Amino acid sequence: MQKSDRRLLAIFGLVLALSLIAASCGNDDDGAEPEATVELTQEGVSRLQLVQERDELICGSRGDSPGYGVVQEDGSYKGFDIDFCAVVAAAVLGDSTKFTVVPLTSAERFTALQSGEIDVLIRNTTWTATRDGAEGANFLFTTFFDGQALMVPASTGFTKLEDLAEASICVVAGTTTELNLTAVFSAREIPFNPVVFDDTSTLRPAYEEGQCEAWTSDASQLAGWKFTIEQEDGGEQHIMAEVISKEPLGPVVADGDTEWAQVVNWAVMSTVQAWEFDLNSGNIESYDGEDPNILNFLGRADFNPGLGLPDDFAVQVVSQVGNYEEIYNRHPELVPLDGSVNDLWTNGGLMYVPPYR
Amino acid sequence: MTSSTRAAPPPTTQTPVAWARRRLFNSWYNSLLTLVLGVVAGYLAYRTILFVAVNGRWSPVRVNLTLFMTGTFPRDEQWRLVAQIYLMAAAIGVAWGAITASAADRAADSGIAANRASAPDLLRRYWSLLLLIAVILGFTRTVWPIVFALTALAGGLGLRSATHRLPRALRQASWYFAAALGIASFQVLTGTGGISWWWASALFSLAAFQFASAKDYARFLGSVMVWPVSGGKRLVTTKHLARFKMASQILAVVAAVVVGRVLYWLIGDTTSVGWDKWSGFHLTLVASFAAIILAFPIGMLLAMGRRSSLPAVRLISVSYIEFFRGVPLITLLFTGDLFIGFFLDTDTPLSAITRAIIMLTIFTSAYVAEIVRGGLQAVPKGQIEAGQAVGLATPSIMRLIVLPQALRAVIPAMVGQFISLFKDSSLLSIISIVEFLEVRSLVHNQEAFRGFGIAETLAFVAFGYWAITYAMSKESERLERQLGVGER
Repeated sequence: MQKSDRRLLAIFGLVLALSLIAASCGNDDDGAEPEATVELTQEGVSRLQLVQERDELICGSRGDSPGYGVVQEDGSYKGFDIDFCAVVAAAVLGDSTKFTVVPLTSAERFTALQSGEIDVLIRNTTWTATRDGAEGANFLFTTFFDGQALMVPASTGFTKLEDLAEASICVVAGTTTELNLTAVFSAREIPFNPVVFDDTSTLRPAYEEGQCEAWTSDASQLAGWKFTIEQEDGGEQHIMAEVISKEPLGPVVADGDTEWAQVVNWAVMSTVQAWEFDLNSGNIESYDGEDPNILNFLGRADFNPGLGLPDDFAVQVVSQVGNYEEIYNRHPELVPLDGSVNDLWTNGGLMYVPPYR
Repeated sequence: MTSSTRAAPPPTTQTPVAWARRRLFNSWYNSLLTLVLGVVAGYLAYRTILFVAVNGRWSPVRVNLTLFMTGTFPRDEQWRLVAQIYLMAAAIGVAWGAITASAADRAADSGIAANRASAPDLLRRYWSLLLLIAVILGFTRTVWPIVFALTALAGGLGLRSATHRLPRALRQASWYFAAALGIASFQVLTGTGGISWWWASALFSLAAFQFASAKDYARFLGSVMVWPVSGGKRLVTTKHLARFKMASQILAVVAAVVVGRVLYWLIGDTTSVGWDKWSGFHLTLVASFAAIILAFPIGMLLAMGRRSSLPAVRLISVSYIEFFRGVPLITLLFTGDLFIGFFLDTDTPLSAITRAIIMLTIFTSAYVAEIVRGGLQAVPKGQIEAGQAVGLATPSIMRLIVLPQALRAVIPAMVGQFISLFKDSSLLSIISIVEFLEVRSLVHNQEAFRGFGIAETLAFVAFGYWAITYAMSKESERLERQLGVGER
């Protein structure tokens, strides 16, 4: 036998031995390691069960919308929509941190929902008939009533649409915003000049330089920019009270799983119910009143409505994330809550949830 | 008097003044041009320095440096990235040492002096990368990244010289050791994360296998891969054993994968971070280099398939190439994102990043195929006939005669394609993957930086892309020189 022959044989032997070791190790390893990838879609298993088995909620949202969802320096997400992901996680899993955000573009969001990649979509999505129908999406409780509005510098003194006759109005091209603007202004026969921009980053300097008298976009977006401009001493801004379109935004789940839809819906609604009961993250755990409705709501009265949620889910949600008012006020970019359409129904707003009994 | 008839050119030592007079001010119009351009260049330089050092509002970059580099990668798991850097540095060090050592071996065998790359030489080649690292370190707010970078650098260099001094018998082993380190570096990154681990292993074994086989192929890959690679010495030298070469290489690669896994298993880490958590510059690098490594062999097979005499193979190759070359990349990315999940009805849907890498690979391999075909056509038919005349089988003719010449001829075009792929990875943002460029838009949605420092972050991102692509093109230039492309 040649020398190199023997060397080769040795290598083969070594490799074989290593493979065998690895094969056995590999098996042990696979048995011991936690399920790294859990099945997302499975016949006959409900979404609720999947989420519980996975012990993590996968929440479709976004990281590029101030107030709703932004990525902070440390890579974590923050925003109104993100907080509702936390609400669902707290209700279902008892821990408001057990969720992962999957950032989605508007083009992909419904596909991600249908293919089962995400459990719930909370990404300021407007509830429309087509989406509810053809897109196979199931819209739940509206967490934010948005609408298209107009912002003007406060110095102009404009307060109603008619003041804007012959004015230049800045708008981003190719959006429903642009179409709404034209539709409403021509229906009311107010002449105006649209000034069209490709995106907000070019629109903003133009508006601040006075190229146009007004800026139209969703009220929530305008509120964010109003906040920024005023912070940077760009002069006081005024958002007109009149809203020219309806944009109800809320969580969405895929069609065909009623149980999961109920769970998400009641988790989200519990924040409003808590607000109505004057319960917040500070006092919900120490509640010592006798109101039977509240005791039911807190899960202390041996009451289970059969939603598939733990008895104390509302306590988990509110103590870990907060009630609707707390969540809302945590994000100063949003339109001020008091007196807005998003106020509680007892204050004249639209936040009204079915009774918990 | 034969060789000395052509006298050496006179020494060209000139004073700077003489040089300037000859080159810049040799006539009135050239003097004018020099002055005008000098003023313009000086002004631009002044404005650039002013922007970088004085006026630039770099706080969006400084505050969000980690976000730019690793995006939303969980901060608790950041140690994995540090570990990866160390292992990567070790892998590069060992591989580099093996390269220089086998170059020295070859030189010793043929009795010529080995030309070792000198420090200024390396600086010329990699200065853009060094500048990038310096800039990134300049933005850090703690001392740790600098410590990590310096110790990793020192460790890599130490391993390089240690490997270089190893006895010759261990040359081949050091290659596999480098591959195992490379695999381990990805292993530590993903933890025990199921599919991600297999991905990383497959990539590295493919890469490792390649440099162990065809020499030129390996050299070429070395120009674009994360670690430099050169011709490995043949594992088995005797004729009798030559037929086991392939098998032994495959087994050796398996062994490298296994060693990586066993080493990792010994560490006992049981958590995992999937691909879907990767983002930022890290993701840009991984996704584009994964696609480059995968697209190259596929493209080469397609190119050979297109020239095959079997009609079915030819038809498939032609349709693949023509279809995927004719479709815009954005369309493919959307398709991959929206439909792969429905086509592959598996229990575990592929992550968005895996789908994106698949689509980038499919797209690039079609272009690579056409580039390689150009190279194949440049090899004269006589070469193949000569091979047949000496009784070589078709695969051997391809491997030994045609491909080395063909690939050598297409290095510039190929690297151009890979540079373009690297930059195209910024398109991944449209399928909501947070790559390097997309981080910028996230930063400008943060409360503190809305509309603030827009030009600065753009400059930073552009510089990141430039530094990498410039290094790639320098490497290709060096390979061209080394392999004598453009000569003859």
